[in-house]
Amino acid sequence: MTQTQLSRRRAMETASWTMAAVAAQMALPGFVFPGEQEDDDLVPFLNMPRSTRQMLDWETLDSWITPPDQVFSVSHYGQPKFDVNKFRLEVGGLVEKPQTFTVDQLRKLPTAERLMTLECSGNGAGKGFLGAIYNGKWSGTPLAPLLKSCGIRKEATEVVFFGVDQKVETIRKVKVPVPFGRSMSVTDALNENNLLAYERVGKPIEMRNGAPLRLIVPGWYGIANVKWLTRIELRDRRYMGRFMGRDYVTVRGERRGGKVVFVETSVAKMNLKSIIARVTRRPTKSGLIPVKAYGAVWGDGTPVKQVEVQVDGGKWRTARLDKKPRSKYCWTFFSIDLGTLKPGKHTVTSRAIDVNGRVQPSARDDEIALKKTYWEAYQQWPREIELKA
Amino acid sequence: MVRFNLPVLLILVLGQFSMGGPVRGVAHAAKPGIHVRLAVAQRAARTGTVEGRVIYKTDRKRPWRYARYYVKDRRKGFLAEAVVCLKGKSLKKLARPTRSKTTVINQKNLRFVPETIAIRAGDRVKFINSDPSTHNVSSQGTLHPFDVTMPFGGSATERFNRAGGSRRPIVLGCKFHSQMQAWIYVFDHPFFTVTAADGRYRFTGVPPGTYRIEIMHSAGGLRTSRLVVVRAGQTTTIDLTVSPDNRIKQ
Repeated sequence: MTQTQLSRRRAMETASWTMAAVAAQMALPGFVFPGEQEDDDLVPFLNMPRSTRQMLDWETLDSWITPPDQVFSVSHYGQPKFDVNKFRLEVGGLVEKPQTFTVDQLRKLPTAERLMTLECSGNGAGKGFLGAIYNGKWSGTPLAPLLKSCGIRKEATEVVFFGVDQKVETIRKVKVPVPFGRSMSVTDALNENNLLAYERVGKPIEMRNGAPLRLIVPGWYGIANVKWLTRIELRDRRYMGRFMGRDYVTVRGERRGGKVVFVETSVAKMNLKSIIARVTRRPTKSGLIPVKAYGAVWGDGTPVKQVEVQVDGGKWRTARLDKKPRSKYCWTFFSIDLGTLKPGKHTVTSRAIDVNGRVQPSARDDEIALKKTYWEAYQQWPREIELKA
Repeated sequence: MVRFNLPVLLILVLGQFSMGGPVRGVAHAAKPGIHVRLAVAQRAARTGTVEGRVIYKTDRKRPWRYARYYVKDRRKGFLAEAVVCLKGKSLKKLARPTRSKTTVINQKNLRFVPETIAIRAGDRVKFINSDPSTHNVSSQGTLHPFDVTMPFGGSATERFNRAGGSRRPIVLGCKFHSQMQAWIYVFDHPFFTVTAADGRYRFTGVPPGTYRIEIMHSAGGLRTSRLVVVRAGQTTTIDLTVSPDNRIKQ
C-alpha cells in the first residue's frame, strides 16, 4: 500500500470523526460533551481573565475541531511581509539533489491530511495564557518522501527548518541577521506523520498561522511547527539557533542522591496533559447542588489510559473518556458526574495517566516545582468555583 | 404643552410661597435647600426622563460565546456593560467644560476592571495595577494616543479631552497580555451611561426634543439605535433589545 493510499484511508477516518463532531455540535448547539444538558448552568471559574478572540475559550468549548476565531498564533520575529507569488521552498545542504519548489509544485505532489492538537509550549504557564491550543486538520504533502527524493547524504544527522521571518539578533555582542529556525534529527524528520501543509481545515492557511507553507509535526509543541517555511537544510552538526539553544530550553532540576542537578533540554515533544474545560450545575435540591465537569486530555500521541478528577483534594475518581471523536495526535474529551456538592467554594482538578503509567504531575511535584522555565507547562490545573445555593 | 405631576406642582407652589417671589438663581438663594429643590423641580418640569433596560435576545443558532460575562441571567437577558447614550444636534450646546471627574480602571486578574467606561470630555482616568506582574496600557487610534507601563502597585492618570462619542471609543490593550481589552467612550454631553448587571439605564433632565438613543457593546460587537421623543415633565420608558442581528464587523 502506498503512502498516498494510507493517507487517504486516514483522511477518510479523520473526515468521519470530523463529521461526527460537527453532527454532535448541530444536535446540541452550544454544547459538545455527551451527557451535558441544555439547561445545565455554567459555573464560572473564579478569578480568571475573560476569554477573547484568537484564543481557545475553554468554558464554551463546543467543537472538537477548533473554530478559526479561537485559533491562536504566536510569532517570534513578527509576521513577515513578502511576495507570496515569489515564495519558494528550498531543500539543500547535505543532499545529492538540492531542489526548489513553488507551492503549486508542492500541491501536485501526493497529498495527505493530519489531525493534530497544536499547543504552544508556554500554554498553561499562567492563568492569562491557557488558551494557546487548538485542534485542526492540516492538508499538504508528506515531508519524508520529499526529503528522500532529494537524496539524503549519509553524513547528514540534522534537518533544520527555516522560516521567512528574521531578525537581527545580538549573540555575544555580535549583531547578525538570522532567520527563525528549528531543527530535529534526520530520524525524527523522516517520521511519516510530518507534513508540509498549505491548508488548514479545508482552507488556505491564514498568514498569521504560517501561509503559504507550514511544517506540521504531530505530537510536537507549536514551536517545532515552523511557519512561513522557506528552507530545509540537512547538516552534520547540531543546529543551535536561538529557538533550539537559548529560548525554548527547559531548565529543570533533577534530584540525584541528596543533590539537585539542573539539566537543560530543548522543547520538542508534547507532554501528557489534561484540564477541566468547564463545570456545570443543576438547581439546588435539599441543600445540595448536582455538578458535572468536562475537559480535554492530550499529549505526544502516546495512548491515554485514563483521566481522573478530584474535588477539594479528595479521592481521585475516573472520568469517562469520549470514544468519538478521537485521533492519535488530537485531544480527547472527557466528562464526569461529580454528584452533589455543598454550596461554597470548591476546587476541581484533573490528571491524566497514559498507558506507560506516566501521571500528569501537580505543581508541587519535582517535575514541575524544580522547573525554572515556563515552557512545557503541563502541570495539573486546579479550577476554582463557587456554588451558590 | 408642559404637564406637571402632583409632587412637582406642590414643590413649585410651596417654593413660590416660601420665598415670596420668583427664583433668580440657586447660588443667590437665602435658603439653599428649598431653592435647590425648587430649581430641580423647575428643571424637571422643563425637561424629560428616558429610562429602560437593555436586553440581549439570544439566538441559539448564533450563540454569542462571551455572553456569559455580560448576561448573568440568560432567561431574562439583561445586558451589562453596554454603553447607552443620546445623540442629537441640540446636545452640542451642552458641550461645555465641566468639573473634571476621575474614574479608576484597575488591572486585576489580567483584566481591565471595569472593561468599558463612559466619561465626559475633560475627565480623567486613573489606571492602577493590582496584579503581581507588569502591565501596560496603550491606546489604539489617533483620538488619544498614549502608552504607559506600570509595575505591580503602579498607577498612571490620563485626561481625555477629545470626545469621540459613540462612534470612536478609545480602545485599550496591554502589550504584555493580549487578552486584556478595554474601551473608553468620551462624550461632550451628559446623557450617557454604562449598564450594570440589571441592564438599566436612566437619563434625567433631558431637554425636550427628538433624539436617537444608541446602544454600543464593544466586547460583543453589538450596536443598535432608535428614535426617542422626550417631552417635558414626562418619563419615557424604552426597553432596548439587541440580538446577533445587531452585530457589527470587528
